[in-house]
Amino acid sequence: MAITITNMYKRTQWQCLAFIVLLAVACKKDDNNVTKLNYEDGVSTVIYDLAGDTEASVADGVEGKEKRPFRSFYFKLSTKLQSWDSSHTFKQSNNWDLAFTDIYNALVYVNNGSAEGPGKGGSGKGMIIAVDSAYSKVTTAPDEAAFEKANLRFAGWDGYPQPYNTGWYFYSLNTHLAIPIKNRTFIIRTADGKYGKLELINVYQGNPPAVTDLFWPAPYFTFRYFIQEDGSHNLKTP
Amino acid sequence: MRTSKELYTFVILCCSSLYAFSQSDTSHTLRSVEVKAVHLETLSSRAAMPVTVINRKTLEMMGSRRLDEVMREQTGIAIVNDVSAGSRAIGMQLQGFSSDYILILIDGQPMIGRNAGNFDLSRITVSDIERIEIVKGASSSLFGSEALGGVVNIITRQHIDAAQGQAIVRYGSQQTQDLTLEGETPFADKRGTLNLSGNFYHTDGYNVNSFLSKGATAPPYNSYSLQGRMRYQLNEQHSLHIAGRWALRNSINESVYSSSQVANTTRDVLHENDMNAAVVWQANLHKGWQLKSQYYLTRYSTTQDVSTGKSNQLSSNDFTQYYHRFEEQVQYVASNQLSFAGGVGGNMEVMDGNDLKSEYAYLQGDWKVTERLSSRLGVRYDHSDFYGGRLNPSAGLKFSLTEKLSLTAAFGTGYKTPDFQKRYQVFTNPQAGYTVLGVEEVATQIAAMQAAGLISEVRPVAKDISAALKPEMAVSYNVGISYTPVQKIRIDVNGFYNQLHNFINTVQIATRTNFQPVYSYINLDRSFTGGVEAGITTHVIKGLDVSAGYQLLYAKDRGVMEAIREGTYPYNKIRDNKTGDTRASKVSDYIGLENRSRHMLNLRVFYEYAPWGISATFRANYKSRSGYDDANNNRFLDTYDTFIDAYCLVYASVEKKFCKGHLAVQVTADNLMNYTDMLMPGQPGRILMAGLKWRMFKQ
Repeated sequence: MAITITNMYKRTQWQCLAFIVLLAVACKKDDNNVTKLNYEDGVSTVIYDLAGDTEASVADGVEGKEKRPFRSFYFKLSTKLQSWDSSHTFKQSNNWDLAFTDIYNALVYVNNGSAEGPGKGGSGKGMIIAVDSAYSKVTTAPDEAAFEKANLRFAGWDGYPQPYNTGWYFYSLNTHLAIPIKNRTFIIRTADGKYGKLELINVYQGNPPAVTDLFWPAPYFTFRYFIQEDGSHNLKTP
Repeated sequence: MRTSKELYTFVILCCSSLYAFSQSDTSHTLRSVEVKAVHLETLSSRAAMPVTVINRKTLEMMGSRRLDEVMREQTGIAIVNDVSAGSRAIGMQLQGFSSDYILILIDGQPMIGRNAGNFDLSRITVSDIERIEIVKGASSSLFGSEALGGVVNIITRQHIDAAQGQAIVRYGSQQTQDLTLEGETPFADKRGTLNLSGNFYHTDGYNVNSFLSKGATAPPYNSYSLQGRMRYQLNEQHSLHIAGRWALRNSINESVYSSSQVANTTRDVLHENDMNAAVVWQANLHKGWQLKSQYYLTRYSTTQDVSTGKSNQLSSNDFTQYYHRFEEQVQYVASNQLSFAGGVGGNMEVMDGNDLKSEYAYLQGDWKVTERLSSRLGVRYDHSDFYGGRLNPSAGLKFSLTEKLSLTAAFGTGYKTPDFQKRYQVFTNPQAGYTVLGVEEVATQIAAMQAAGLISEVRPVAKDISAALKPEMAVSYNVGISYTPVQKIRIDVNGFYNQLHNFINTVQIATRTNFQPVYSYINLDRSFTGGVEAGITTHVIKGLDVSAGYQLLYAKDRGVMEAIREGTYPYNKIRDNKTGDTRASKVSDYIGLENRSRHMLNLRVFYEYAPWGISATFRANYKSRSGYDDANNNRFLDTYDTFIDAYCLVYASVEKKFCKGHLAVQVTADNLMNYTDMLMPGQPGRILMAGLKWRMFKQ
């Protein structure tokens, strides 16, 4: 009896050990789950960690930090120039294509002189529409009529304030962090009327695949874009 | 390449443990020095729900230093970060219940001090623990509020027979230092006993975030603790116990995020002070009556400040909390078949000027109906000034079908009153910009914010908030089979189901003019956790214990399921983030609550070869993937969201005793394979430690 038990037991033991080995093989180290994506395709412009208004605070009673609205900044796509000039003359000029406004500068307007927004009253021809597709798969800008019909004017918090407000990020109710929506590409028209595409990638410094710290530095923008300089609707990128 | 190296390590370990097995066949009889197992009559051992016990010897063999390290290796338990409450918010999850609902007791009395509901177990040293009892499932019938999902009872060393002392020095990876000094002695002709112990612990923390050029995701800290206990037998009937514990923790974590020539520094400073004291007078009266009168006081204070390198303060979380308890307990053993335990008591909790009084009474009976059937019935009544009275029953049955097979069934209820935060908090998150208001602050704060022109919209639900929050309720069911096919092999299978009612959730009540939401709390959803826990323990060969444990878990929010079924925005859609396509959602798309693994598995080999004074352990822990966060803006976890990958952690330890048991050398390896994941900031990589123990005792 004792021998049978011991034999049976030893067999079980072997099975256990084989199982542990299997488990261990199954758990390979995967370098912190960090997959750094390559956004460079040779023709698009990639902007890394463009600092927004990092000094502003939205909270009450935060010592040492100024409690004030986030200061907007403006960005000219063709020259990659960031400007903090919020004068009327500047805002109504064609010297910017994108305005990064409001909380965390994450509400992004195009420069349009005839619609509500920072460019109102100016000469900007900017429009923006969203396409749920990978950046490289967006190859043409629609015609004028379709553009006008779907124009979003701005892209910010997805589904906010109204469900039809398509945005580029959302706040997680679970972690209270801003999460960019993957494979959503914006087709834009610049202030000068040229067509292009834009992918807003992240608001957190370093463009992490997921944010694991409530105090991860923000806003630092990572985004990429392509502007068709010949004025056509062709947006093909490799 | 890395994998193959790990595989070799494994093969070597396996071979050596097999060698050890073959050795054990020729066992000699030599006296081994070990801590005597003592039987302690504790309340948690009287729980109707299943109880898991971890004893001193297991703790010593594992070589763990802090309580979180011990707990994370147990079946059905996970230590998880609460990212929404900052990098220091980490807590223990039991059967899918979050740390909020798990009561932590020290010698049967509640410990306090939580960070957004999370009780960080790493503030407790293992050095003074005699054993740990884990009650799974609602057990408010014995312990009152908070014991909704389960209880962890830490029992410090109680029984002292002879004078002895111990010094332990451990050192290892990440500058980890663990120093323990303890002594105990009987006095006055063994009428009294005294035990004193002190511990210092330091760790540099651990970083798993590759975006940090400096700093740690598991914060570094220094911890000091002192504990003392005295017991004095006044006469044959009466004895007096006095116990005290004081612990202090300081931590400074400076993190630097570096990328593209931008460097941002965050400085996170924590001071934590933790004190517990108890006076117990015990009287053993005639004919099986025992009376216990006790007073317990605990105080917890913390200051935590997070600031940036430009000396801007991001957040501060400072509070001091006191908790007093008087209790009178009666135990009566009527016969070998029947015994009772009951008590009455009062609590007073004070936190930053707010106080909450509550009173309670409980009674529990153990009745061995026949040789085969035993039963346990309990009931507890709690009354709080604010929330009124509540009755919590529990019942357990055990039936032995044969000598080898027994069946158990248990039922219990739990409840938890909303904490101070949910009533009085006024908080605006400086990073995300949302505001959270405690239910009693809603009316005045919203009015003030409206007057200041800060509110753009007040939602209809805001009107329902003014009604008082109801306590959360749980009902737990447990059925189990215990089977002993051959002697010293035991198989346990337990099915559990916990239903959570009046679950307190945040709800958006208004929107600020800056687009940011204002939240408050509401009794909204009903969640449930259910599953199966199975375990096998074997000790056929002398000195060798092999065991395995498994938990299958389903944890879901019925509110989410209903919202999907009814097509409520934004639950009505599901977006495939790879293609960008969106379709209507189905209830079957819902995976469950975040941070919970469906499958958890652990395997343990404990071996002791007494003739050589050698002992070794080998443990492996597997957890299947668990949800981290929503990635497609539908507020529920589906297959396209962010997940923490499945992983398995391996632990090993070896100890050798010298000098007739006076000296012991121990080497431990935690997370031997150095598995880390950015999404698990609190889980350190490989920690190797070497330790020296010197015990002084009379032969």
